[in-house]
Amino acid sequence: MTGINRRTFLGITAGLGVAGLTGCGSSLGATAASGGDSNTVKVGLVIPQAGVYTPLGVDIQRGWDLWLRQHDGRLGGRRVTTVVADEGEGPQTGVPAVQKLLQNDRVDVLVGIVSSATALGVRDLVTSARRLLVIANAGAGAITGANRSPYIWRTSFTNAQVAAAMGRHLAARGVRRVYAIAPDYVAGTEAIKGFSDAYRAGGGTIVGQSQPPFGKTQDYQPFLSRIQSSGAQGTFCFFGGAESVAFVKQYAQFGLSRTIPLYASGFLVEGGVLTAQGAAADGVLSTLHYTSELDNPANTAFGQAFRAAYDAAPTVYAVQAWDAAEVLSRAVAQAGAVDGDSLAGALGSVGVITDSPRGPWSFVEQSPRQNFYLRRVQTRAGAPVNGVVEDLGPLDPRA
Amino acid sequence: MPTAQIALTAMVNGLAIGLLLFITAAGLSLIFGMMDVLNLAHGALFLTGAYLAWWIGGEQQTWPSLGRAVVAVVVFGAAAGGLLSLLTAPLSRRSHLEQALLTLGIALVAADVLSALFGDDVRATEPPAGLAGTVTVAGWSYPSYRLALVGVAALLAAAVYWTVERTSLGALFRATVGDRDMVAAVGVDPRLVRGGVFVLGSVLATLAGLLGAPIYHARPGLDTTILVLALVVVVVGGLGSIRGPLIAALLFGQVESVGRAVLPGLASFLLFGTLAAVLVVRPRGLFTLAPGGRR
Repeated sequence: MTGINRRTFLGITAGLGVAGLTGCGSSLGATAASGGDSNTVKVGLVIPQAGVYTPLGVDIQRGWDLWLRQHDGRLGGRRVTTVVADEGEGPQTGVPAVQKLLQNDRVDVLVGIVSSATALGVRDLVTSARRLLVIANAGAGAITGANRSPYIWRTSFTNAQVAAAMGRHLAARGVRRVYAIAPDYVAGTEAIKGFSDAYRAGGGTIVGQSQPPFGKTQDYQPFLSRIQSSGAQGTFCFFGGAESVAFVKQYAQFGLSRTIPLYASGFLVEGGVLTAQGAAADGVLSTLHYTSELDNPANTAFGQAFRAAYDAAPTVYAVQAWDAAEVLSRAVAQAGAVDGDSLAGALGSVGVITDSPRGPWSFVEQSPRQNFYLRRVQTRAGAPVNGVVEDLGPLDPRA
Repeated sequence: MPTAQIALTAMVNGLAIGLLLFITAAGLSLIFGMMDVLNLAHGALFLTGAYLAWWIGGEQQTWPSLGRAVVAVVVFGAAAGGLLSLLTAPLSRRSHLEQALLTLGIALVAADVLSALFGDDVRATEPPAGLAGTVTVAGWSYPSYRLALVGVAALLAAAVYWTVERTSLGALFRATVGDRDMVAAVGVDPRLVRGGVFVLGSVLATLAGLLGAPIYHARPGLDTTILVLALVVVVVGGLGSIRGPLIAALLFGQVESVGRAVLPGLASFLLFGTLAAVLVVRPRGLFTLAPGGRR
């Protein structure tokens, strides 16, 4: 009796979750879509729906929904059922969400995951379930590093890769002395290391570095004073979310932006935070593998469709989800099956994606080798955007 | 930048942060110390004040919009304080745990309502013209808004101190702590006093949110960050007095500012390290109003 009740309850919950999705377009039948049916594929979308990363989750879902809407709700010819699960802020909520998708919803494929800790935390779950996971954001190097799972692929970036693009560029431009600052958690540490390695290799000197406590720093003044007295010609930084707003604003308020230019890993000024930063972000230079201002046919079409659907500029997070759907579709079509082994094999031979809004990219060690762009914050049509200054060329994930 | 200037920046900054912290914590201390109610919704009041500042003034405050925002946060704070007083009244003879559960529940509901109303993006607001830039004196520069904040917060702190310690209204507050029945016996309804303290404490919290908005930026999660800071100040300062939280808040302002500049490697331990050190030396806080009313 309880078993039936529980199953009914889960069915209703899953049904509500799916019904809550707008834009899938397809009729969502009540049949369980797992495995056997060769006309459907059930995808678990793991995104933050509560907490600090929620805006990223919104953008990932938008990219995913938009791709499906433009492709008749099908991946590689199979009708898609999407089940959304809340990743929350970290592994304590993210790992159970993935577990529920695998065991209760019996999804064929997992897509999403913003937090690196969650991505690393679900590695063994996904591997033992032999289901494919396409990471649409989390940037820790270890996710696709030496001990990677054959079932975990990534359409986003590595933290070091994004930072190395800036390190290489600043060294080549002749900026000789830089101060590096990022929060004291894995993404911050990897950003500083990725930047420093590339920058030093180009002949630059790191005159100092700080790692303010992550999530516990509201006021950056003590660090700003150190930057001012370090004799640096520029500051390299990586911050995300609310911290990026606080840092950029305080950098301007304490007068540093007039004398020591700010260079950043692109997430500092990507998406909603850019609006919140206002005039303080003007002129900030950053590197990233995407900006809404990229001038290529795929991005023009993508940008128009995105703005029409959501009345907002597209972000890198939406593109990462869009590309996750794109490569999955190709893999499903090629493999003719949706089990993890077939899909992983097919992803390995997917080759260069030439029609992505971000420009051409390909998988190297299950993570993108892609172009990086030097971007400058400027105002266009009354709104702040990251204009393209220069195409910095491609970088491997292990930069 | 010369060392003297760095030291000056750190100290002025500590003063600004400390005074803002005092305005925030004073309300919590008053309500806890005088009414014996642990109000865990205090951080939500601060965050609501910050959101109201953004909602009314947008990304760029003007002087008229700031005026409207001040009126709005005072009205909202007073209403919320009155409501909290009514909600917690039935629990006034129960344990702190039960009060904490109620106010924590209110805080969680408030956080979700704020998230539904204002979204999950950071809502930053810039101070009005004239306060948005940087002041430069003899080569030393400092954000004008924070300098103004020192002045405004100091005035507000002085007003609170004077009200509680020097006026008959404050005497009534303090008398209610000491002997509720005696206050009733001289013809004052203790429930009104209770409501008054709640209103004052809540208005201080929403005002602090308004003042802090250009520095902390309204966002989900700020409520708990602020609540923890305020609780630390109240615990260190001791309950029921105004002097205790004032000194504790100024101390923590300097710890967060000068301490982090001098000992960057220990930045994450400074706040709670100081808390632990104070509790070892003075387990009841720096200044505690004893239940009998004696200091």
